[in-house]
Formats: sequence, C-alpha cells, structure tokens
Amino acid sequence: MTTTSIERNEAGAPLISVRDLSVSYDVARTGKRLTAIEGVDLDVHEGEFITVLGPSGCGKTTFMNVVAGLVKPTTGTVLVGGSPVTGPGPDRAVVFQDYALLPWRTVFDNVKFGLEMQKELKGAGWRERVQEAIELVGLAGFEQSYPRELSGGMQQRVGLARAIVAEPRILLMDEPLGAVDALTREVMRDEIEKLMAATGKTVLFITHSIEEAILLGDRIVVFKSHPGAIKEIIETGLERPRSERSIQHDPRFLELRDHLWDALQGEATAAAVSK
Amino acid sequence: MTVTSATGTMRIVRPRRVIRRSEAKWTWLLVGVIAAILLIWEAAVSWLQLIPASFLPPPTAIAVSFGKLLVDPEFWAAFGYSLGNVAIGLVIAVVVGVTVGLAVGWSPVLRFTVAPFLWLLYSTPKVALAPLFILGLGLGSESKIALVFLLAVFPIILNTMEGAVTVSTSLVNAGRVYGVNGVALGWKIIVPATLPYSLSGIQRGAALGFTGEVLGEFLGGTGGLGHMLEYAAYQFQMDDAIAMVIVMVIIANLTLLLISTLRRRLAPWYDDRKIAGAS
Ligand SMILES: Nc1ncnc2c1ncn2[C@@H]1O[C@H](COP(=O)(O)OP(=O)(O)OP(=O)(O)O)[C@@H](O)[C@H]1O
Ligand SMILES: [Mg+2]
Repeated sequence: MTTTSIERNEAGAPLISVRDLSVSYDVARTGKRLTAIEGVDLDVHEGEFITVLGPSGCGKTTFMNVVAGLVKPTTGTVLVGGSPVTGPGPDRAVVFQDYALLPWRTVFDNVKFGLEMQKELKGAGWRERVQEAIELVGLAGFEQSYPRELSGGMQQRVGLARAIVAEPRILLMDEPLGAVDALTREVMRDEIEKLMAATGKTVLFITHSIEEAILLGDRIVVFKSHPGAIKEIIETGLERPRSERSIQHDPRFLELRDHLWDALQGEATAAAVSK
Repeated sequence: MTVTSATGTMRIVRPRRVIRRSEAKWTWLLVGVIAAILLIWEAAVSWLQLIPASFLPPPTAIAVSFGKLLVDPEFWAAFGYSLGNVAIGLVIAVVVGVTVGLAVGWSPVLRFTVAPFLWLLYSTPKVALAPLFILGLGLGSESKIALVFLLAVFPIILNTMEGAVTVSTSLVNAGRVYGVNGVALGWKIIVPATLPYSLSGIQRGAALGFTGEVLGEFLGGTGGLGHMLEYAAYQFQMDDAIAMVIVMVIIANLTLLLISTLRRRLAPWYDDRKIAGAS
C-alpha cells in the first residue's frame, strides 16, 4: 500500500497525540487482566477525519474511551491539544455505540443535554441550536417522544444530534450509523461529511463498513485483535467532496476496498482460530 | 399503534380503547361473581339460617353498619388518627429509605458492608418486634409511627438500592462526557434513573406500613381504625367488625392506586412491566 505512517505529513503539532498506549481491564470473574489494546501510536491533526476499522472486540471502543477521558491508560500517554487527558472535557463529544440516551428525557431534552453544562445554555439561541441539530439528523417531529418510543436507528441519531449540538473541537463517534437503514445512512453520511468539512472539526469515526471507512476518512486506521493494536494506517487520498456514486468506479476506491477486505478477512480468520 | 396528528407528528399511543373493551368484559364477570357470592351468603344466613347471624352477619346487615360508620364522627376521628400515623411514618420511611438506598447502592464500600445487614433485617419478621415497640414507646401514636416506619423502610431502601446499582455505566459516561460531575451527576443521572425503583418500593412500603399501624393499634392502642375494629370484635358486633375490614381494604387499595398513578406521572418513560423490584 502507498502510505503507512502514524503521522500525516502536515505542519504543526497534532491535536491528538497517542504514544505507546495500552489498556488492560481487571476481569472480576477470573481475577485475570485482559489486555484490550497494546502499543497504540497515533497522531491526529486538526480537521482530520480518521475512520477506524477492525474486527469486533479488538479494542476500538476502548481506544476511543481513552481519548474521551472515560478510561485511564494503563501505560502510555494521550495528549489532546498538547496536554495530557485527565478526564472528559468540553473539547470532546462522544456518540456512544449503545446510544446512552437518558430514558427520562424527551428527544429534545436529550439533545439539549449536549449543551446542558455549557454556558451558552444561559444565553439566547440554544433552543434554535437544539432544534437545528434535531432537524439535521432527520428527527423533526419527534422532539417530544421518549427514547423508548423510537427505533434503534432513531435513538442512535438522537445520540448523534446530542454530540453535534455541543460543537466540540473533536467528535468521537462509535459506530454512529450502525443501526441506521441503508438509505438514511447514506443521507446521514453526506450530512456528517458536509458538516465536518464546513466546521473543520476533527473526527474519530469507528465503523464496521469498509465502504464507509473509505468514503469518510482522510486516513483509515485498521485495528487487529489479540491483543488489540494498530495493524496499519492508510491515507485514502480521494478527492472531496465524495459521494457513494462518484467514487464507486474510482480505481483508488476499488484498490483500497480490496486491500481492506483482505486485511480484515485475515483478522477475522485469525480471531476465529485463536478462540 | 402509531397515530399521525394534524401537524404530521408521529406519536406512539397506547391502544387504550382496545384494552378498555377487553377489560370491561372481565369487570362485568367479576361483578357477576361478587353478586352471586353475596346472594348465596344472604340466602344462607337470612333465609335458610344455616349460619347464625351473630357469627356471620348477612351482607345487608353489613351494608347498614357500613352506612352508619360513614356518618359516625367517632369513625372519622379514628380514620384521621390512623391515616395520620401512617402518613408520618411513611414520610420518614421515604426520606430515610431513599437516602440510605441511594448511598448504599452508589458506594461499593457501603454495599459490601451494610447491604448484607439490610437484607438480614428485611427478612426478619418485624411484626414479632411489635410488642416491644408498644412496651418501649407506649400506647400512643409514637409506637404506631415507629412500626409503620420499620415495616415500610426496608422495601424502600432495598428497591432504591437495586435501582442505584443498576444505573448503567454508559449513562454515567454520557453524563461525564457532557460535563456533569459530582452532585450534578447524582441529581441528573442517578436519581432519575433510580426513581421508578424507589416508587415501586414506596408502594410496597405503604401497604406494609398500613398493616403495621393496624397491628400496633390491635396490640395496644387508644384510638384508630384497628382499635375500633378490635372493640367491635370484642363486643361481638360482627357486622360492625366486617364493615371496618371493608373500610381498611378500600383504604389500602386507594393508597396503592394513588402511588401507582404517581409513578406513572413522575416516571412516564418507565415501562411498568420492567420493574420486578425487591419483594
Ligand atoms: N469494562 C470492561 N471490563 C472488562 N473488559 C472489557 C471492558 N470493556 C471492554 N473489555 C474487553 O476489551 C476488549 C475490547 O473491547 P472493545 O469494546 O474496546 O471492542 P470493540 O473493538 O469496540 O468491539 P465492537 O466492534 O464489538 O464494539 C474486549 O475483549 C472486551 O471484552
Ligand atoms: Mg465497540
């Protein structure tokens, strides 16, 4: 493959800098320690869109949780904006894999939760911002519904709106479109790409879809399992704006897709054998 | 059922009418069964005289006693006395129970040290302690309030505790990501997530508390519905006694209804069927 580097050739200090990161969990049941990820190195520059691919259980969520400040590194360092991560902060918002919506709040109030602790809430205009985010994810009309009245894909989009409304510098998205149907998925994907391009946000986007990873990413980080680690990092080098249709026959897209397919298939087989 | 309103808003609405209609059928059946039992009862006592009326008065006699009770100021005084004690005991039990339940549920240290004792106490037949309360606190309201509290507090603690323990990590994480920390985390995440469990504990606690009150009055009291019931029974006024029992059944059910309505009001997001709770 063409490019494999932890650092993109770009001037200036990276916004996110991960060095020799490993995380292990105490497994209460067996009393052993499980190494979820090991020796992860990655630099992400401001405005970059990073997609993360890898087999189930390879530590993608764990990695993202460390950047979010929800999980402490066992060893290694994670710097965001030059300073070590000690916990969550308003510069980072998360779209959770399991949505993590507050069941006692309506869609509107759940999205508002993204702003709740920010000073803006006291000022004017926050209502409009919440409403805008709800419309962006296509949930207009459902403002007063409770999460349990929504489908999985709709709940997921509420989680997305909650992160977007917070207007963080870094968006951490854990399979944010996993439960969304193909058509809505394409629309949402376009929206995300447009929004990120317009606002220049930095994104870490976990996905299980090879096509999605190529379509959205400036670089694709491929994880391997046992233990979880970065297998390779690939620069997509495709023109923006991209659309599903426009890149479908692009030779670069096809090359990337075949390559990733082989890489992941190897991983999946390895994972199945080691079990 | 999905209903599209005039504004084009989709809302999920429960199919109320359908439930009502099928429920109505059962209600009529129930009314029929009760009417049949009352009729057989009346026939057996008043017309066939199979059972002496002094031992089991006929429904008509009980209805008369019930009517008399409702206009008897002495009854309303007893009613106020009992319900006042239950209310005071229950309020204390709710405050203590929810606080202790949240603390024990949220702190792993307390959970491992205190929780086993709570379960032990919960499974102790506290009714056996009732005579001690009368001896210790006297025949007045204090001993009754204490009994109501003792019986009501454990289901509230244990249900709240279960609720606090089962608050999912991802909700707490969501809170932390969006800047909710410390006290706010408790107030915005833990308490609302636990509320339906607490309410279900309070419902159980109220029923047990009412039992505690009546029991206390039975064992040694100077007033209240339990006391009145005991008096009627001693006088062999069985019609009065049974009318009193009916009053108590009505009160207990109204209390349960009130709390479950409250639960639906305060926690409309929560699916009733999901609460098993500590029972
Ligand atoms: N809180 C935890 N306690 C113990 N082990 C954990 C915990 N969270 C994750 N793990 C383990 O760490 C490994 C990586 O999990 P992680 O959730 O990061 O994987 P993932 O790549 O996000 O998987 P998926 O694609 O299925 O979401 C798994 O083996 C998992 O069992
Ligand atoms: Mg995951």
